[in-house]
Amino acid sequence: MKINQLTMILLFSVFKLSAQEFRLGKVSVAELQEKMYPSDTSATAAILYKKGVARVEYNVNDGFVLVTDVETRIKIYKKEGYDYANQSIGYSISGGLKENVQIQDAVTFNLVDGKIEKTKLKSDGEFDEAVNKYYGRKKITMPNVKEGSIIEFRYKVRSPYVSWMRDWKFQYDIPVKHSELTTYFPEYYVFNVMQKGFANLKVTTDKKAASIMFTNKERSDGKAGGTTFSYDKVEYQETKTAYVGDNLPAMKDESYVNNIDNYTTTLSHELSMVKWPNTPIKSYSSDWNSVAKTIYDYQDFGDELNKTGYFENDLKPLLADKKTDDEKISAVLNYVKSAVKWNNLFGYSCDNGVKKAYKEKSGNIGDINLMLTAMLRYAGLNANPVLVSTRDNGISLFPNRTAFNYVIAAVETTNGNVLLDATSKYSYPNILPYRVLNWEGRLIRKDGTSESVDLMPKKVSNDNVFINYSVDAQGKVAGNVRRQYTDYNAMFYRNEIDEVKEDAYLEKLENDNNKIEVNDYTRINEKDLSLPTIEKFSFKGENLTEIIGDKIYINPMLFFTKTQNSFKQETREYPVDFGYPFADKFNISISIPDGFAVETLPAPTILAMEDNLGSFKFNIVTSGNILQLAIVHQINEAIVSPEKYEMLKEYYQGMIAKETEKIVLKRI
Amino acid sequence: MKTPFIALFFTFFTLTSYAQKSNYSILTIADSLKENANAVVRLDQMDITIGSQRSMNIKVQRIVTVFNDKGLNDIDAYQHYDKTTSVKSIEAIVYDAFGNEIKKIKKKDFRDQSAVSGSTLFSDSRVLYLEYTPVSYPFTVVYNSETETSNTAFIPRWYFLGGYYVSVEKCILNVTYPNDLGFKKKEFNFSNFNIKKTVDSDTKLSYETSGILARKPEDLSPSSDDLFPKVMMGLEKFHLEGFDGTATTWEAFGKWYGDKILTGTTTLPEETKAKIKAIVGDEKDPIKKAKIIYDYVQKKSRYVNIAIGIGGWKPMLASDVDRLGYGDCKALSNYTKALLQAVDVPSYNTILYGDSDKMNIQSDFVSMQGNHMILAIPNGNDYTFLECTSQDNPFGYQGTFTDDRDVLVVKPEGGQIVRTKIYDDKGNIQKDKGTYTIDENGHFSGSISITSEGSQYNKKYRIEMYQPTEKEAHYKEYWDNINNLKLGKITFTNDKENVRFTEDVQVSAINYASISANKMIFAVDAFNQNTGNVKRIRNRKNPFQIQRGYLDSDEIEINLPTGFAIEFLPSNYELKGKFGEYKTEIIKKDNNKLIYKRSMLLNKGKYSSKEYDEYRLFMEQVARNDNAKIILTKI
Repeated sequence: MKINQLTMILLFSVFKLSAQEFRLGKVSVAELQEKMYPSDTSATAAILYKKGVARVEYNVNDGFVLVTDVETRIKIYKKEGYDYANQSIGYSISGGLKENVQIQDAVTFNLVDGKIEKTKLKSDGEFDEAVNKYYGRKKITMPNVKEGSIIEFRYKVRSPYVSWMRDWKFQYDIPVKHSELTTYFPEYYVFNVMQKGFANLKVTTDKKAASIMFTNKERSDGKAGGTTFSYDKVEYQETKTAYVGDNLPAMKDESYVNNIDNYTTTLSHELSMVKWPNTPIKSYSSDWNSVAKTIYDYQDFGDELNKTGYFENDLKPLLADKKTDDEKISAVLNYVKSAVKWNNLFGYSCDNGVKKAYKEKSGNIGDINLMLTAMLRYAGLNANPVLVSTRDNGISLFPNRTAFNYVIAAVETTNGNVLLDATSKYSYPNILPYRVLNWEGRLIRKDGTSESVDLMPKKVSNDNVFINYSVDAQGKVAGNVRRQYTDYNAMFYRNEIDEVKEDAYLEKLENDNNKIEVNDYTRINEKDLSLPTIEKFSFKGENLTEIIGDKIYINPMLFFTKTQNSFKQETREYPVDFGYPFADKFNISISIPDGFAVETLPAPTILAMEDNLGSFKFNIVTSGNILQLAIVHQINEAIVSPEKYEMLKEYYQGMIAKETEKIVLKRI
Repeated sequence: MKTPFIALFFTFFTLTSYAQKSNYSILTIADSLKENANAVVRLDQMDITIGSQRSMNIKVQRIVTVFNDKGLNDIDAYQHYDKTTSVKSIEAIVYDAFGNEIKKIKKKDFRDQSAVSGSTLFSDSRVLYLEYTPVSYPFTVVYNSETETSNTAFIPRWYFLGGYYVSVEKCILNVTYPNDLGFKKKEFNFSNFNIKKTVDSDTKLSYETSGILARKPEDLSPSSDDLFPKVMMGLEKFHLEGFDGTATTWEAFGKWYGDKILTGTTTLPEETKAKIKAIVGDEKDPIKKAKIIYDYVQKKSRYVNIAIGIGGWKPMLASDVDRLGYGDCKALSNYTKALLQAVDVPSYNTILYGDSDKMNIQSDFVSMQGNHMILAIPNGNDYTFLECTSQDNPFGYQGTFTDDRDVLVVKPEGGQIVRTKIYDDKGNIQKDKGTYTIDENGHFSGSISITSEGSQYNKKYRIEMYQPTEKEAHYKEYWDNINNLKLGKITFTNDKENVRFTEDVQVSAINYASISANKMIFAVDAFNQNTGNVKRIRNRKNPFQIQRGYLDSDEIEINLPTGFAIEFLPSNYELKGKFGEYKTEIIKKDNNKLIYKRSMLLNKGKYSSKEYDEYRLFMEQVARNDNAKIILTKI
């Protein structure tokens, strides 16, 4: 795992806060005159500053609330940056507790004849969209925006969810000149603060005394009657923390990146402890173990695992004749897959609850995979839930409950963990849906202890291709293909052909492969997930070779030749993510036409990358009028760090050069 | 007045009785309907009752059997609503394959969501939709809804077939209307379908059809709008968001639109008028004046779409656009019109369908149509059209979004149907002039100047605004025939006056030529290879069309490495046919210098399904010849 490298970069360095001040309304002529962002001249817009203050404060009506106040100044350099003149701030409505968003001080600044012109946002540019019953969006569109304009706005969010603070993003797809977040928390609330991304932030902390006035209303007995008020003053410590980032570059997406959010500098806060005076400390999460324990103690998680009554009668007969662990695992997995369908909602905890999901035959990830875990336990297996963060959800490097959004099941066997997910049609023991393949998960046992589980596949998935073909004197090609997919390759192939009419699949196969004509198409083990799946077909092609002069030029791999390097970028910022290790193997036998002889052949070659990252082997032998080739391209790691990018790119370059080398046949 | 009441009651009665005797088991579906189908529409029935000019009631009953997850989109169990359209009832019942009821979804269990999408910032339109996770396939959804609206300007178009990979068992449309509102209809693409018109009177119209087989999409097909049967309907006397309207003739409709909807929207503050007069100065020519104003609007404004109530049809006030600097197509067109008015240049709001698929306003069917607005300025006997939502279009350029189609120009004296500018195939030019050198190791280095005009300009001019990484990705994709491509200096010249975009690009690549033993092989045409990617389609059914033709002409100087002799040179090649003309020529200047000339003209046109293979072979010939290789031998 590459986490070590990342954590090193994340070490905080502490400086004094710089003296520079940013305040709304103080737009300078120089800022308005600026034609381009100095360190990134291609930027269409830039955030000149973004300043947030988040404070847990007390008020008589609501108790403790979280108030976040954010000021932003954005410079628009080009028309393509006009999108930044439209802003949207989401808020939550669910649970009856509505977050309150107020937008204020929204102004557009322009330079007109050397003078600063201000245009205020009026109510006709502000909208409140009730998206659905769970959340809404406040939207603004700034007036009078042109190339060169600066816009400013401020918004305040009052939230009853003290434990759920918005992430603070320091980076966007445009550059950020200055971004700071200051938090004020009373000693009663302890937050974990987590940073993602590569930027260096300056952090300062300061503690000072603060107080709350409680008003107590008492109705006294007795003849006098009436109400008396008493006041309690409670003193506490308030911690102020400031995080400052300067000159942060724009984030730019690259191909084969897992999820750009993993690399975007972001601060997340999570409530880890609440310690009221004279009451026991309530701890939420401070390390992965206590995170796991906290989640396990949720009613819609741990309790759901203990329910068994709803399925016992159905499951018992299915398990009656199953002896080995593997048989039991397969039986339970297949049963859950057929009994309950995924409703496309994520979450590690149950949405409907296992009983209801079972009855209604549909549920979220938690409903299905916790039910799976319970059934595996019922079958006598040592099964436990594993918390997962999906690829889209990103990677969390620090312990927190919101890091996870998914759960799978693991059976601990003598041969190690068997990982299971019953929400996908083609998943299989240790073959998980692609969304799950994201670094590490957290396995929780019944006693609340937990351990990390590596989710990245270690086993190489194969693509084994056997091709037999002959070339005639006109350069036409006819032959057979047998292609076997194993493990993850099999899963992807099965997904690809799922519900696709064979006719449509063949049309695509023909068109994707140089418009060959495909016949005698068959599939083997399409449905039996325990076996590799195989497709076989015969083909004819008229465009597969080239006749130049009186010679025939053949790409020995025909339409399987890789002609383009997937890695076209010159440099690489983020790791390359292949998802799983793989090997593409080709065994090719070519028979050449009568009256022709080999003039040149590509020479056998081996390319190997350092650290056993991968290798390419190309071998060719002749016997009579038959040419035999064995070609293997194998990548052994799912994730390749950016330092190895240059090597990987060169490897692909070398492989492509070899694969595109031609066999030349001459007339004899 | 008892008769209509009885008629209404009777319709109800037949509807209910149908539902009761229906059997939703999949066993009754004919095999032919399952072919190529992800879903079968068992019944698709719409009953439209127009009570008066200001009231329309629509009942929908849709029964769909879904075979797999790709068929989920065919359920169509959703209903839009807003302030003037209310959903009176909506419900769905799900049945399993054998016709047993599994689940009933009531109105409160439908998801209620704001219908703001794409480029719209805000709209008051909302949607109720069914959210259902299939437990197993196949299953059947019976969906019923009833809506009521005061807007009668838009009677829904009726599509007998909703898309590809779906078949229709039975489809019924019933429309009733008072005989004095001038109800009219137009039928499209009925010829290949068996559609029965069961009633056609002055108060009622009904169609029925059954057994429409599922179709597969095919590349280069005309849009399904031009292939599938549909009925367009309208009223001569209609109502729209508080306004009564007339659509007897285009003149009358245009006059109504001008008088009722547009009127009073072009007032500008005196200050702005004075300012714009000062900017225009003493320019006299109306087109030159318009050019100055168009440039002013492009610099000042941006596109933001806010659609609330009548705001979906009536432009924002010009004075608001002047103050805020944003608006949608109507607002920005109208604002430009107001500015032009201030300097005495006449111009007209123009309604059309904006789409890269050319789509006409139906000239023989007077009604509210279109989804976009541009501005027309009289220019001699013709018009110059301005796309006012664009901040970078050249003046009068129509690109591929508004070109070559029938549009409605709204003049004060009434509406008029006009054809927009047609870009000629031979005017859609790409001219390449360049040079490249191959060194003795097979490495490539060169430079090229690419000039694009006509509709090809539209594809290219945005490259200049790409981010550096996007630019790099674009060229690496554009020249994906050159592996290991490295980009050098890139400069752009955007000549908006002549609508001509020029890219000057320096490139290099290692291992362009493949070397085996003492030979070097490479494709002569490095810069403009046509990949001929026209799909092979088994049993094509649809006709096909080439919407826009083009003319590419290339002249490239090639410098060969010293120490090599030419073993083989591709011969000159020419191909002529109904689809176009293609020609290449290699001229040997001296031992190490070649001149490569290539021209490719593609004709736009509509062709039959039978001609498709011919077209594919034509393009494949081109591709093969573009990939012709030269062989050099070491001396």
